Amino acid sequence: MTMTHPGLPEYWGMIIMVFISLAVLWVLFSPTPATVRTSVFSLARIPVIGNGIRAITANRWLLLSLKFVMVGFFLLIIFAGLFGTPIPERNMATVLTWNLWWSGLVFSVFFLGSAWCAVCPLDAISQWLVRRKLWRRAHPDNSLNLKVPRWMANVWPALFMFIALTWLELGVGITINPYATAAVSLLMVVLATASLAIFQRKAFCRYFCPVGRTVGFYSQLSPIELRPIDNDVCASCKTLDCYHGTEEVEPCPTWLVMGRLKQNSYCTSCGNCTQSCPHENIAWRFRPPSVEALHSGRPHWDESWFMIGLLALTGFHGLTMMPFWEVWMSQLAQTIGDSGRLLWSFTIGLVSCLAVIAAIYALLVEATRKLTGTQLEFRRLFATFAFIALPLAFAYHMAHNLNHLIRESVGLGEVFMNPFGTGTVPLSMMEKHERHITMWMSQDVLFAIQAGLMIFGFWIAIQVIRHRGAAVLVNDDRLAGAKLLPMLVFATGITGFHLWLLMQPMIMRM
Amino acid sequence: MNSVARQKNIKTLAAKNAKGATGKICFTLYAAKGLFLLCGRLLTLFLVFTIPAQAHHVLGRPAYSLNEDSNTPPSMQVETQIGNYFVTYMVFPAFPKAGERGRVNLYATRIDNGAAYNGEVQFKVRDDVLFGDDNSETLGSQLPDDNVYRQGFVFSNDGDYIITAEFTDGGEPYIIDFPLRIGSPASVGPIGIAVGVIVLILVGVNLVQRRRLLPAKLRNAHEEMSGR
Repeated sequence: MTMTHPGLPEYWGMIIMVFISLAVLWVLFSPTPATVRTSVFSLARIPVIGNGIRAITANRWLLLSLKFVMVGFFLLIIFAGLFGTPIPERNMATVLTWNLWWSGLVFSVFFLGSAWCAVCPLDAISQWLVRRKLWRRAHPDNSLNLKVPRWMANVWPALFMFIALTWLELGVGITINPYATAAVSLLMVVLATASLAIFQRKAFCRYFCPVGRTVGFYSQLSPIELRPIDNDVCASCKTLDCYHGTEEVEPCPTWLVMGRLKQNSYCTSCGNCTQSCPHENIAWRFRPPSVEALHSGRPHWDESWFMIGLLALTGFHGLTMMPFWEVWMSQLAQTIGDSGRLLWSFTIGLVSCLAVIAAIYALLVEATRKLTGTQLEFRRLFATFAFIALPLAFAYHMAHNLNHLIRESVGLGEVFMNPFGTGTVPLSMMEKHERHITMWMSQDVLFAIQAGLMIFGFWIAIQVIRHRGAAVLVNDDRLAGAKLLPMLVFATGITGFHLWLLMQPMIMRM
Repeated sequence: MNSVARQKNIKTLAAKNAKGATGKICFTLYAAKGLFLLCGRLLTLFLVFTIPAQAHHVLGRPAYSLNEDSNTPPSMQVETQIGNYFVTYMVFPAFPKAGERGRVNLYATRIDNGAAYNGEVQFKVRDDVLFGDDNSETLGSQLPDDNVYRQGFVFSNDGDYIITAEFTDGGEPYIIDFPLRIGSPASVGPIGIAVGVIVLILVGVNLVQRRRLLPAKLRNAHEEMSGR
């Protein structure tokens, strides 16, 4: 008997469909917006507690303490994975990594932007090993400080790493293998350390880390950002301590200058800028979550591919849960003579999914180019509209992960009491059933949040189409919205696909 | 109006207005409406045919289960396929130890019609090592008992092993491997490799940096000497 999580009820599906229909009609028959009004609210300006927030942000001890905690958990995961029970639901390595961290990470982005990167244990361990300093600025000669080769200085490596991670997760199945989870964690430490020892600053965080780049791109939709309090102060700054660092504080690990920072993609929230700024001019602030996707984010070819890849891979997660997926895999395996874990068949499926989404998007971009009559070249338009993928991927990712997080993290307390799962047996059917009905929140609330996320993602996607489209359209006419129809078809089709996936029952991972 | 008629209508309108700017706008408008309705219908179809789906592709991966209704110990199970057969492999107990009796159960059914395989299955075992000799040993050959092939085993040493099941159907050989872990093999391998690689990198970087910085150090020393 297999335990399944129920899918989103049909009435929620209908509500979302009605919303989508109305929103599409609105875009088709309304003029494209001329300007974007953005209001931000700096936390440092809050009376009484503003200074406290600033002090906490610039406090290196708080960050260091959190890093120690994360490194402690990380080491525990490695040891539990290597030396603990192979039963995934009883081992801390799999439960903490995949049920809590990997599922919850996307929600941390929703609320805290790229805060995870600030306490990332991979970065902390590699920093301590290579720089040999806990937090102070290290001697630069500890690393070769080579410039990252031009062909690697983009997010293509991170995209390939993310595809590889998906292959390991869904193809090899490391999510239910504590030993493999620990081995992959160790591999990431080795890669981060090697990168820090060889290249300038933190090239791993900027170009190679699949988790960091995913967090970075999603945090473009985060409602908070680390920015200058007063832009004029930055404009008149001659020392650029945020970029160069000080005697005590490391420079920005990802080559950012705060005065010119427009998007969260590469900010790791490390706090170096807040600590080094002599004017104490850097602070967290609230903003509308769509501001970067709508206009601040600069379109780049490699980044657009990362966003499209992110969209394809999030959908692929759901696709592997469809009934005909296994039939396809089985038939493909028979055709090509694959057996065992069917990894060749899986790989073909994964690559095909990526190729299909990218091809559909590319075709619709070309159709938009023809329809609007824009003089922009294809690559430019491809990169411009790729921001549509971001809210669609982010919303589905959260809605999908919410199931894992709420329904599958129930036995967390037991795992914390016995991280290695010593002397435990697999979950009995009764225990599975008990976990199935014991949730962190009511099922109705869960469904409502999932539906809300789908609406949130689609709404931002069509806003991106309208705002990015306004800059593309040659003549601002009454039917400007209709000329962006191919992009609307893309957003609607992807949302429909995601919605359908969410409405399917899903087997419990552990 | 059905979709064919609507498409014809769009085409006619488009043909009439193809030359003028107004025509382009009308075409866009009607095409937009048509495509929008098409998308709506596709979405409805998606939702109407919501078939219960199975999640998480698990073929070939070990899974552990416990049946509280019987006295059998927890078992390890792997489901996979080879050629025309769907194969299920179970190990009792789930975590066998060296010197302890264990059993492998194997079922093989045709993918196309579900018919169980009823020929002979030979079981072999070898060490699960990346590099090394293929020193496989035959565990035994079994005939089905109620469609199940049961092969007993006793291992004298802890370790990771590969059980190979071999059978023939329609003149074609079927050979499929399954993992078997006996006891708790030492797991320091990954840590050792990781630590080794990291040490190698750090020492390598240190040596290169020393060599790179040596001329500068010597130059500084010379300058200091000449300055004095």
